[in-house]
Amino acid sequence: MDISLLLQNFLNGLSIGSIYAIFALGYTLIFSILGIINFAHGALFTLGAYFTYALMGEAFGFNGLLANLQLPIKLPFFLALLIGSTLAGFVGVVIEYIAFRPLRKRKADPLLTVVSSLGVALIIVNLIQYLVGAESYTFPSNTYGNLPAAINFGSSDKPIPIRTVQIVIFVVCGSILSLLTYAINFSRFGKAMRAVAEDQVTASLLGINTNLFIVSTFFISSFLAGLAGTLVGSSVSISGPYLGITFGLKGLAVIVLGGLGSIPGAVLGGLIIGITEAFVPADYSAYKDAVAFSILLMMLLIKPEGLLGRRFIQKV
Amino acid sequence: MVNLFNDYAPLIISMILGALLGISLYLPLMTGQLSLASPGFYAVGGYVAAIFSTKIFLTSGLYPWYLLLLEMAVAALISTLLGLVVGIPVLRLRGIYLAIATIAFVEVLRIFSLNLEITGGAVGIFGIPQPFNNTLEYLWVVLPLLIISSIILYRLENIRVGKAFIAIREDELAAEAMGIDPTHYKVLAFTLGAILAGVSGVIAAHFLNTWNARQGTFDASIIYLTSVLIGGTRTFVGPILGGMMFTALPEILRSLANIPNLPLWLVGFLKDGRLIIFGVLIVIGTLFFPQGLVTPDLFNNFSKLMRTGLNKVRLKKI
Amino acid sequence: MMNSVIKETDSQPMLAVKQITRRFGGLVAVNEVSFDVHNQEIFGLIGPNGAGKTTLFNLITGLIEPSSGQIFAQSQLISQLKPHQIAAKGIARTFQNIRLFGELSALENVIVGRHLHAKSNFITGILGLPQANQAEKKAKQKAQELIELVGLGDRLLEKAKNLSYGDQRRLEIARALALEPSILLLDEPAAGMNPNEKQVLSKFIRDLRTQFNLTIILIEHHVPLVMGLCDRIAVLNFGKLIALGQPEIVRNDPAVIEAYLGVD
Repeated sequence: MDISLLLQNFLNGLSIGSIYAIFALGYTLIFSILGIINFAHGALFTLGAYFTYALMGEAFGFNGLLANLQLPIKLPFFLALLIGSTLAGFVGVVIEYIAFRPLRKRKADPLLTVVSSLGVALIIVNLIQYLVGAESYTFPSNTYGNLPAAINFGSSDKPIPIRTVQIVIFVVCGSILSLLTYAINFSRFGKAMRAVAEDQVTASLLGINTNLFIVSTFFISSFLAGLAGTLVGSSVSISGPYLGITFGLKGLAVIVLGGLGSIPGAVLGGLIIGITEAFVPADYSAYKDAVAFSILLMMLLIKPEGLLGRRFIQKV
Repeated sequence: MVNLFNDYAPLIISMILGALLGISLYLPLMTGQLSLASPGFYAVGGYVAAIFSTKIFLTSGLYPWYLLLLEMAVAALISTLLGLVVGIPVLRLRGIYLAIATIAFVEVLRIFSLNLEITGGAVGIFGIPQPFNNTLEYLWVVLPLLIISSIILYRLENIRVGKAFIAIREDELAAEAMGIDPTHYKVLAFTLGAILAGVSGVIAAHFLNTWNARQGTFDASIIYLTSVLIGGTRTFVGPILGGMMFTALPEILRSLANIPNLPLWLVGFLKDGRLIIFGVLIVIGTLFFPQGLVTPDLFNNFSKLMRTGLNKVRLKKI
Repeated sequence: MMNSVIKETDSQPMLAVKQITRRFGGLVAVNEVSFDVHNQEIFGLIGPNGAGKTTLFNLITGLIEPSSGQIFAQSQLISQLKPHQIAAKGIARTFQNIRLFGELSALENVIVGRHLHAKSNFITGILGLPQANQAEKKAKQKAQELIELVGLGDRLLEKAKNLSYGDQRRLEIARALALEPSILLLDEPAAGMNPNEKQVLSKFIRDLRTQFNLTIILIEHHVPLVMGLCDRIAVLNFGKLIALGQPEIVRNDPAVIEAYLGVD
């Protein structure tokens, strides 16, 4: 296999892997704070893509209640990305208030919350379909402004073209990840958040407003979901309201691989699955999706706590 | 009257199939396991029927009943084997890990069925022959299945094995300390659910005439899970009612939409927003009915009421 | 199936704990503990909080594996067995934080305890074959006897989670007895009881020993109860066995006094 192809595959994998990582990060943040899998995460992923698309002033199709919707504004991509993801973040907070907090208040079994999140996911996805129909949408070709379609990283006789999209993805993901890592590990806010993740009761006894941190975590997690969704939507396309569902399921594979609740694990898992998928030979491309799920099953059977997770010891 | 019945025959059969799938999800739930694997076995069962009747035993006219039974037996066998192979390793996991593993299992099955030739790829298998002249006659198969399952579940709750299931659900550690082997019983419950789902799949494949990868999906898992959760998780009556109700829901909504003089947006919502309503029901269900609508208490009170009511009637007659 | 149930012979103790150690990461919860328990002895296990008593119970009943060391029930090695296998050898227990089957009735809780003695499986049970029906009937009868023995006869059908704390403790004992064990492990059976109730419990435990030929090991915090009830006592502190012997000897052991009261 020649170097250029290898590199291409690797870079493709890295690119999709970093999106997986961002997505999984949101998943794992909620798990580490609340011990639940928020199945609505995939729906927020989709929502972010749709929000950004609308904010860029693009038109929706003629299906659905809000047929032909087109916002009178036309924001540049990066701004739309930020606002769209923020909106997704707010939706996440709303979900927490309406669906999850009441269950937490009465100390319900966490599985009940997981099921509720399934319901929320159903609502969001189908609401999107109801409002704007199920067609697919592509972002305009000048999304990234004046940047060329690809940038050549090699020499003129051995070109190594890398799609601008992928560079954008790297840059965005990389910066967000660095920001988050810094915030979580070195800021006061981050330390408090980790305290809440470790032991809610003790944290609140220490004067930490646990509810505030839970809400913040939901905001950040949903923001990340929306961000990931926008990146996928803009780099490939928005294939419809169900965009986030397969992603959501793959996200599960990522966090199990990396270890439920582990932040570096989410990044590692995302990259591993992304790169593995990229190296699936073209003949078997239909089985690409199976890669993630097979890895998931294997991890669950061999090492359920994941590569970087911790084993839980049950107290009798 | 008969005409009315005939019109609703497809719905009735669908409802009973829904109830059967509800029960198939309820069985592992009795041991406290949230398994979303049923749609996977359902899909496998359907493919068995599809492949047998369109590729192996090619018949003309009505599909013979004994071949149908053969398909059911084969599906039961495959479900048992698959249930054991998947169940034994997977059931060592608890809680959310188990749920995720079963989701992954169903997804892997779905992806394979999308891509293998024998399952017809993305298009699926068409033209599955009918074993009956009209739809209503499917009752000959599904009704006994439902009745037998109900009897089994009713008795199960009263015998040693069933009590072991419930003990494991209530407190697995304590159950183990009483000599109950949790793995054995969890695998048993899981496999029983798998067999029921597989056999239901066989019938469904003939009933629907086609079968494809969309039959066993994560979406389906959610819908059946909802029906069990809302129907009731502590007694077998819950999933039966829940399964029936949720299968009938789209029809009910559609007829509601035909009520004259409704605002247009409501009509559209009732017609197309079915899944939104599902979602809302799930969220409300977890908030207000954590044990589902049909709880054992409800059931006990109901039968108490029935008994005292009947006694009063008898006294009056004297 | 109750096979190879342990029975005491003259040569072997009922339970032999040999150099049992259990580590959790850096913490040594149980540190090379060794002792024997003799047939029909009432054996006490005491020590300050966190001394490793419940961990020791969990090791004996197979809930956790030892990091090193062995446990023998008569001559049979049980330290590598799973909890349900150990139960089948005739070792039953109650839990420190009561673990009943909340949604089941009191009677049903004890019936579950008869699991190993009732001969019915899925097929025979569902079909209602005579052998299975008999087994279920007998299980129910035996359970009823045990419920009455612990004085809960009038609350048979109450859901276990609705019973009072004291009743729950008694129910747990009835359930453990349903196993027809040779060794009964009681984890803080007197917790939450007033002095009067503790007296009653003491007598009850002694009667159980005679009535059922039981060997009883109990963890207890209330030292006077233990001193009055037990034939021999083992004292744990920080996972180590610091004293072993008859109550009077243990009571006056300086290491024990130091562990409980601290050094002046």
